[in-house]
Amino acid sequence: MLSLMTFLPLIGMAVILCLPNGKPNLVRWTAVVFTAIPLILGIILYNNFDRSTASVQFVERMSWIPQFNIEYYMGIDGLSVPMVLLTVLLSFICVIASWGIDKGVKGYYAMFLFLETGMMGVFCALDFFLFFVFWEIMLLPMYFLIGVWGGKDKVYAAIKFFLYTLAGSVLMLLVMLAMYFYAEPHTFDLIKLAESHGQFLGKTVTLFGVPFALDKIFWIGLFIGFAIKVPIWPFHTWLPWAHVEAPTAVSVILAGVLLKMGTYGILRMNYPILPEATLWASNAMFILGVINVIYGALCAMAQKDLKKLVAYSSVSHMGYVIMGMASFTTAGVNGAVLQMFNHGTSTAMLFLLVGVIYDRVHHRWIVKPDGSKGFGGIAAVVPVYTGMMAIALFASLGLPGLSGFISEALVFLGAFSNPHFQTYTVIGSIGILLGAAYLLWMFMRVFLGPLNEEHKDLEDMNWREKLTLLPLCGLVIVLGVYPMPVMNLMGPTLAKLLALFG
Amino acid sequence: MNEEILKNLQLFAPELWIVLSLCVLFLLDGFIPKVRESVVPLFITIIACLFGMALTYKSGVVAKTEIFSRMAISDGLVNFFRYIFFFACGVTAYLTLGSKEVEERGRTEFGLLILCVTFGMSLMAVANHLLLLYIGIETVSIISFLMAGFSRESLRSNEAAFKYLVYGALASGLMIYGISLLYAYTGSLYYTDIATALTKVDSSGHPSIFWLSLILIYSGLAYKISAFPMHFWAPDVYEGAPTPIVTFFSVGPKAAGFAAILHFVLGALATKDGENWKPILGDNLSQVIAVISACTMIVGNLSAVGQTNVKRILAFSSIAHVGYMLMGLIGLTSFGVSSILFYLVAYCAMNIGAFWVVGIVSDLKGREDLSAFSGLGWQMPLVGVSMAVFLFSLTGIPMFSGFIGKFLLFGSLIKTQGYLWLAILGVLNSVVSLYYYVKILKAMWLEKPEAETASPKLSVLNAVGLVGLAVPTIWLGLFFGPVVQFVQTALTRF
Repeated sequence: MLSLMTFLPLIGMAVILCLPNGKPNLVRWTAVVFTAIPLILGIILYNNFDRSTASVQFVERMSWIPQFNIEYYMGIDGLSVPMVLLTVLLSFICVIASWGIDKGVKGYYAMFLFLETGMMGVFCALDFFLFFVFWEIMLLPMYFLIGVWGGKDKVYAAIKFFLYTLAGSVLMLLVMLAMYFYAEPHTFDLIKLAESHGQFLGKTVTLFGVPFALDKIFWIGLFIGFAIKVPIWPFHTWLPWAHVEAPTAVSVILAGVLLKMGTYGILRMNYPILPEATLWASNAMFILGVINVIYGALCAMAQKDLKKLVAYSSVSHMGYVIMGMASFTTAGVNGAVLQMFNHGTSTAMLFLLVGVIYDRVHHRWIVKPDGSKGFGGIAAVVPVYTGMMAIALFASLGLPGLSGFISEALVFLGAFSNPHFQTYTVIGSIGILLGAAYLLWMFMRVFLGPLNEEHKDLEDMNWREKLTLLPLCGLVIVLGVYPMPVMNLMGPTLAKLLALFG
Repeated sequence: MNEEILKNLQLFAPELWIVLSLCVLFLLDGFIPKVRESVVPLFITIIACLFGMALTYKSGVVAKTEIFSRMAISDGLVNFFRYIFFFACGVTAYLTLGSKEVEERGRTEFGLLILCVTFGMSLMAVANHLLLLYIGIETVSIISFLMAGFSRESLRSNEAAFKYLVYGALASGLMIYGISLLYAYTGSLYYTDIATALTKVDSSGHPSIFWLSLILIYSGLAYKISAFPMHFWAPDVYEGAPTPIVTFFSVGPKAAGFAAILHFVLGALATKDGENWKPILGDNLSQVIAVISACTMIVGNLSAVGQTNVKRILAFSSIAHVGYMLMGLIGLTSFGVSSILFYLVAYCAMNIGAFWVVGIVSDLKGREDLSAFSGLGWQMPLVGVSMAVFLFSLTGIPMFSGFIGKFLLFGSLIKTQGYLWLAILGVLNSVVSLYYYVKILKAMWLEKPEAETASPKLSVLNAVGLVGLAVPTIWLGLFFGPVVQFVQTALTRF
């Protein structure tokens, strides 16, 4: 089941590459089919997932490289299931949202399907080597998707993304190898490593004559690799470039899924395998989360480019996830994972909406570089678009009634109830205020006020754009009132994870 | 006595087969001049290499046997390296069929020279005696000088040959001097006798003349594999020599150099200690290798970043890869040596593939700088995709064999604790290498093609070759168990 969901897009890529040239619609519909099937399988997965247990389900396991105990080990538990569902949903939506790509359509969809295989594999893999393979092969299609189909500075953005993420990944490679050799018995199995946590305590490794605790070095190495992906300040500088220069659908996938892999990795590896080191680093992690929130929000407020504003808002919202994770409370961690899902949907909506307006007028300026207004009062001419943007915006800032509120509230409840972090939590809550500030200010400048005569002939959203946005709208509204469908999935697994920390 | 000679010849069969093919080529060219400009000489070379591989397979992995009055050795390592040598020679001959840089009337000479170099490479690999090693190195070097200057009309080719000659002569001279000093100290040139002589004296009791001899012998071996500090010849020679010949240089003599280093270090400077080896000179050996490896990696990667000629980029990348491979020698473990061997297999396929694409571009556009590659991915998708496969494999990105090679090398380094600094340096170097490999892909895929109307066509010969190298690169990246098993078996008989 999981292998089918993971490798169907890869088969789709092979099919697309064999299609004859000059038939873009055939390519597009093939891509739709090969992303729709994993979506349907995802719904089946959702129905059949056992919500009462914390153990891994839908396991597929076979020996791959026996000389090194490497297994093809796929399985999901409460932590990965929301991410898997988010991936299949967003991939399907993005394939439809990419309908406007008209140059090199075959290559685009081939790379996109390849990317989906990588993303699914990362969330389902339970063998460290397999996880690493899927983690890194995602970089190849991302480089080409940004570099070939991107915007003005696509070449710079693509190589910056590639180099930055690769640097983090190779540190992860070293930790992976070291974990294999220092573990008794030698294994790459993440579940086994988690069960035998504590085996790295007390050992040291020397670097330039200075002994370091082994588990702390492991923790730092893995953390840097994941922190680049989240992205955690100060490793975030690739994000504004990559998000802004990528084509719309790629930005959606980048913000909606790829960012979550960083925090997923921390929860999958740092927490269960190295709990003592995680407690040691929790202070630093929490502070970095707060910095993310405040710094991201302040940068977003200063932006004149709409897409860059949304990109920085992603940095800010991932800060909430880090805060929730570092609080070690049930509310905090559940809120963090829920925020991962909710942010995926709301930021996807934001990027799709930015893409809509960019397709119309080919600029995204709130304020143009020469100081004149980019938009203004367009609510009068595009009411449906304004409505959708309002929903996305309010979900993002955390208006009660929409999904963002529940996850942010849980994160802050959890963070505040941890006595170590109360001051930082209060500082972090300023982020909510700042979030409202920049989002509402943007809304005011773009949609309200007198109509900018340049844009009086704007067309409202067509049926295809509505099709991509309505499912996300629905999810954002429903989960804002009743989040249990997602929260039920993760409860037992996160409870077992937190039990390690007492 | 006669059975012993017969048995020695049997174990030396693949090399004798090379000599036979050489004779066939000579006679063919002498008596039937018509075949000189046809594809027949190259076909004979390819078939000779295929038969050579079959002979190697038939002789199998034998227990370590000293042959030819102990001057040569036949063991699992020799068997492994024979495959690599024949593969490199055969594939180079195949790709020369479609290359315009090697002129048609020079095909017989090309076949002769490349078979000669292969024979020399085998001599380097089987040597158990320093003079036989030297003869092997000289054979490879002198004929390489000739091959570097193969395009007689090209100024760059002549320059490359001359630079190679001068540098190679210097390195050989240093090496033979070092060998003579080592002989004076230990009284023997056989590897095993050197080891016995060295164990008799405590490590601190060796006179400085011994250390000098080691440094000089190292300079000769380092020159062959283009390791620091004897790497300076590589960029200019790679840039000037015709591309098919550079393809061979980057793989064949390098593998032979590693065969020689492995036999020398593990035979003369170490003793077998269970599965691994114990260095006679103490742990300093590993530390020295670590420093050399670090310097080679850094020099190779950092120099490549600023280059605009793709052949020079690949030359510096070869230097960097030697740096990575030397990491496997640290600690003298069986796992480390087997990772070097695996890396050589992966490196063979991906480097030949990368140079093959450079050759195709060179034939198309007449030049090899980055601007010649603009938009080529869209015009010739197969070339673009296979180049992406080779370059990502060279970087060390998973799903490709280059990653598995680096995985094994870094694994052996971490297993031999105490060199964390080198591991971190190595992975950071891999990230740097991504920048210059992606520069080539950026030109091929992210830039618009130069203003040319017709889409260039890719010949079937080249297409088959590129696919034939790209698919194993991916296959080996995913299912590397069997080759690892083969390499470890080869080492057990060493």
